[in-house]
Amino acid sequence: MKPPSEDHDLIRWLDGEMNDTERASFEARLNSDPMLAKEAEELRALSAGIQAHLPVELKVPHADFFNSQIQVRIAQMDLEESRQRQDGTASLRDSLLAWLRQPWFTAAGAVALAVLGFIWMRPQTQDPGHSLILSSYTPSLGVEASTYHDNDADATVLMLDGLDEVPADHKISGISVHRSETEPEIAATTLFDATGAPLLVITRDDAGHPLFMPNYPRG
Amino acid sequence: MPASATTDLGEVSDIDLVKLSQAGDTRAFDTLVTKYRGRIYAMTYHLIQNETEAWDLAQEAFIKAWRALPNFKQDAAFYTWLYRIAHNVTYDWLRKKKIQGDGEFDDERTEHRVAAGAEATPKGDAAPDTALRNAELGQRIQEAIARLSPEHRQVIVLREVEGLSYEEIASLVPCSLGTVMSRLFYARKKLQEQLKDVYETTL
Repeated sequence: MKPPSEDHDLIRWLDGEMNDTERASFEARLNSDPMLAKEAEELRALSAGIQAHLPVELKVPHADFFNSQIQVRIAQMDLEESRQRQDGTASLRDSLLAWLRQPWFTAAGAVALAVLGFIWMRPQTQDPGHSLILSSYTPSLGVEASTYHDNDADATVLMLDGLDEVPADHKISGISVHRSETEPEIAATTLFDATGAPLLVITRDDAGHPLFMPNYPRG
Repeated sequence: MPASATTDLGEVSDIDLVKLSQAGDTRAFDTLVTKYRGRIYAMTYHLIQNETEAWDLAQEAFIKAWRALPNFKQDAAFYTWLYRIAHNVTYDWLRKKKIQGDGEFDDERTEHRVAAGAEATPKGDAAPDTALRNAELGQRIQEAIARLSPEHRQVIVLREVEGLSYEEIASLVPCSLGTVMSRLFYARKKLQEQLKDVYETTL
């Protein structure tokens, strides 16, 4: 192996880090030193190979979910900070609000599209009637989800733009969520119907993936 | 409702997206995430060679960036600033994991590798055997890079993939220019050794 200074000359030349004078001088050496020229050529080929096979940009797996998770965590942080500002004595854990993910389904003919909404709800003991959609995730790239709160209806409205047309005679059965309960200790939220029966439990599995359990019997 | 709610943010400049984000507009920040997630993910993936961990680290970088946005003075390009955060997040992770290079290559680290050559192979009508050779070569190169120590892998990725100058690398790592050159030299020597059959030429 060559002394460091010569090593540096070679890679500085290779990486275009030499000024004109240095480059001319080094290239004169290359012309008179076949071994150095051979090594330079090999390193240049190696460099080209690396650049060709290590793309500067990669497709992110589950890219929409990637974004949604960021939005959820940002909202968690914001709400947490807001809560801490309001109640300086509350501990971090006690003030942490759990977030929800609510699946939405609709169908057009044989095609079904699932839309997962990530919902943050305040614990019922504080403000049972209000919810806030933090972010939404649509598995279908052609569908864009947006939400707003309709004060007159006192309801959160989910808009799905890009769905296939639904025939007028198509019956869509939905569920009416009357209230929800959040259990921060187990990071689970349960949705109830008007009769008080549980409709859906939303939580995470051991790997942290969303878990939806319809009609889950509560202990 | 955020200021950007009715605006198509796809064409908005980074500077304006950053300003909107600094004002609390998460939709604007989401646009920045979408714009740069591929590059940030590529960097974390190349450095740690694990799809799942790279995904998490890229996400962590964006969350750290969101939290640090109030302090971003826009005296540098947003991506440069974001890249530095992502790099630090990833390198901290590497330090904690104490992944060492030579002789400690872990096959599991590359089992989820993006199909070698699939996205880097030059587009065109390459013959199947050529495409296969390209894919094999891509895999060999990725494996060789995975075997480097974190320090050597780091400078190779910063120089060859990101195209940073020595000064930029020295500032980012951080270390001296001499260290950058030494690491680049020895990293290449190790790669050259591992890929001798591919790149060795005869006089």
